[in-house]
Amino acid sequence: MRQRLLILGAAMALAFAACTGDGGGSPGPGETEPGGQTTAPQTPAGTAFDPSAISGEVTLGQWESSPAERDALTEALDAFAQAYPNVTVNQETIAGDYRAQMITRFGAQDAPDLFYVNAEYAPEWIREGFLEPLDDYIAAQGFDTSTFYEGYANIFKGEDGTTYGLPKDGNTIAMAYNTDLVPNPPATLDELVSLADSLKGQGDLKAPLCLSPGLDRGLAFLYAQGGSLLTDDNSASAIDSAESTAAVQWYLDLFKNGQGMAPGDMGDGWCGEALGKGDAAIVFEGGWLLGYMDTEFPDTPWAFAEMPTGSSGEKVTITYTAAYSIGVDSQNKDAAWVVLQYLTGPDGMGVWTQGGIAVPSRSDVPVPEGFDVIVAGADYARPGSGFMPGYNDVQKAFQDAMVAEITGGSYSADPVVSATADKINEVLNQ
Amino acid sequence: MTAATQPQRTGRVRRVGERQEALAGYAFIAVPMALFLVLNIGTTLYAFFISVWDWNVRTGPRSFLGLGNFERLLNDDIFLIAVKNSLYYTVIWVPLTMAIGLFLAVIVNQKIRGRTFFRAAFYFPAIASSAAITILWIFLVQPGGLFDEIRGALGLNPLFAAMGYGPTHNWMGDPATAMNSIIILNAWTTSGTFMLFYLAALQSISNDVYEAAAIDGAGAWQTFWRVTFPLLRPGHFFVATVGVIGALQLFDQVRIGGGPNGDPNNALMSVVLYLYNAAFIQVNLDYAAAVGVVLFLVIFAAPLVQRRIFGSGPAW
Repeated sequence: MRQRLLILGAAMALAFAACTGDGGGSPGPGETEPGGQTTAPQTPAGTAFDPSAISGEVTLGQWESSPAERDALTEALDAFAQAYPNVTVNQETIAGDYRAQMITRFGAQDAPDLFYVNAEYAPEWIREGFLEPLDDYIAAQGFDTSTFYEGYANIFKGEDGTTYGLPKDGNTIAMAYNTDLVPNPPATLDELVSLADSLKGQGDLKAPLCLSPGLDRGLAFLYAQGGSLLTDDNSASAIDSAESTAAVQWYLDLFKNGQGMAPGDMGDGWCGEALGKGDAAIVFEGGWLLGYMDTEFPDTPWAFAEMPTGSSGEKVTITYTAAYSIGVDSQNKDAAWVVLQYLTGPDGMGVWTQGGIAVPSRSDVPVPEGFDVIVAGADYARPGSGFMPGYNDVQKAFQDAMVAEITGGSYSADPVVSATADKINEVLNQ
Repeated sequence: MTAATQPQRTGRVRRVGERQEALAGYAFIAVPMALFLVLNIGTTLYAFFISVWDWNVRTGPRSFLGLGNFERLLNDDIFLIAVKNSLYYTVIWVPLTMAIGLFLAVIVNQKIRGRTFFRAAFYFPAIASSAAITILWIFLVQPGGLFDEIRGALGLNPLFAAMGYGPTHNWMGDPATAMNSIIILNAWTTSGTFMLFYLAALQSISNDVYEAAAIDGAGAWQTFWRVTFPLLRPGHFFVATVGVIGALQLFDQVRIGGGPNGDPNNALMSVVLYLYNAAFIQVNLDYAAAVGVVLFLVIFAAPLVQRRIFGSGPAW
């Protein structure tokens, strides 16, 4: 028995050594290596960076939500190949769980050279040092980043202002309404509430408004009423302010008074489906709704309108976006930058957004048909995710508490506010 | 060990042959054993190692935390909910699925016409992919879905009303019913596999004991409870062990049913889902490894406890 244990122990030690031996590339226990400490660009200091002088191969890793998206990307990459024949792009669609797969690839130091980064997890990826800083490239080439809408571009900047990605496109949340049931879209939140009251019980409506019981839409209404999650310097929670608490209560009351309902409770997968099927008259979605409604519910009459203004009196909405970033471990950073600056520049983004599935993230690209309201919102939109590390935990705390209030029937803002504030402070202190 | 009981063999030739046989045996076992050591034992030990460091995905260890992650786990409300949910799932799902599996096995063990068809039919849900069948299930139990319509058509709504549910209910969206929906789904899909295990165990019971029971005048019910059920003990042990290990690893169905956050309100947060959340949403690999270590210890200990309950198991 003892001998058996000994052999087992030796075998384990061997296997263990095989696993930890990673070729000496990473520092041993105790040593640290700050992420992203690589020099870029690899051209001599002082010389301007000329993208057309670069040649090489670049692996592009991306998700793909639809055949239309693949076609749009193919067209953009074809246009790139024409403009920069010296750089070859090897496109690699990462199927399945993009976020989890990419993290394992970063762990193996085998990530694609260039890849998508969703706003949702950008702060975590920046913090973990997965992404290459781009400022030196931007400066050396003189790449114009001034036309990017701030509500998109700021998400991909570190706390010190370093740029780790440039938005490949972007969406803002707008109000989409059934034009049969709502001839004149409400301009203010007060009008929205009274309209919802008058719509109750009309047609086959399960509820006038389709709402998510969370911050993914709730944040826009929080901002509209002068509330916020964070103080202006991002150092502390502001969800417990009087304005914020009132806004959360206002949002809960929509559920309480039957003006709004979550899509799941209507038997729908999401609010777009609720609008299409006529279960709801007004939903709050981004540009992705357009292609969906065209293919799934071409007979439902609907339109986009800008978000109603709240007690703050100012126009506000929130953004959803994704960026192109370069991997810290990439061996082809210069060539990857050439692709990045083309795809996020006016020409490349123009081709990409003509596909009808994406909305430009910079103001010098023509607005594709049907997306005027979405782009109009970009002028005043604030980030809807990715503006603080650990935002998923905050969102989760808010949503869990809100769902508990709704299913428990008490509809009180205080538990939601305190759960969210606790989580914000915990995340900020980490 | 066995050599001592065998008669002494003499002659060089014989010994050389034995050694060659042993060498061939080790050679055959070497590849799978090496894979097992590296991929199973090695990764498990590596997870133990990661769990005591502040660990960067890309660059490895940053600073030594010792048991810090484990202390944090004990004070992590969501982790404690995940543990509670996984235990609840295990305690309800394993006996339920065992009962259904045994019931089906006894049925298809009868000499009835078309029993091959029934065996195949009962096993069928087990071969469907868990992702596909979970999505199907979400549609079935959505408000106004097939489940709601059937209970309405069968006139069962007064019964549901007495339990506080309206004619349509969001079974997966209500924190009170979400986990039970998953339990029923998995009891349905896995009972076919358990049936198969029980069928094998049933067929290993000698016909002699049934004849003896019949001669003693035992009825069908008595025969089942006094003869079949106790003789199935190795089968119970095996099915319960496999069931508990599988139940503690609950992931696919809750990931698809409630997303990475275990919505609604953590009702579908299992331990493995929380591990996934820590690793891939929070990007906190060392913390996820600590969750994995705890899960490993629990899963490692569970069969030992079960061995106590069922007495000493069979030879395997």
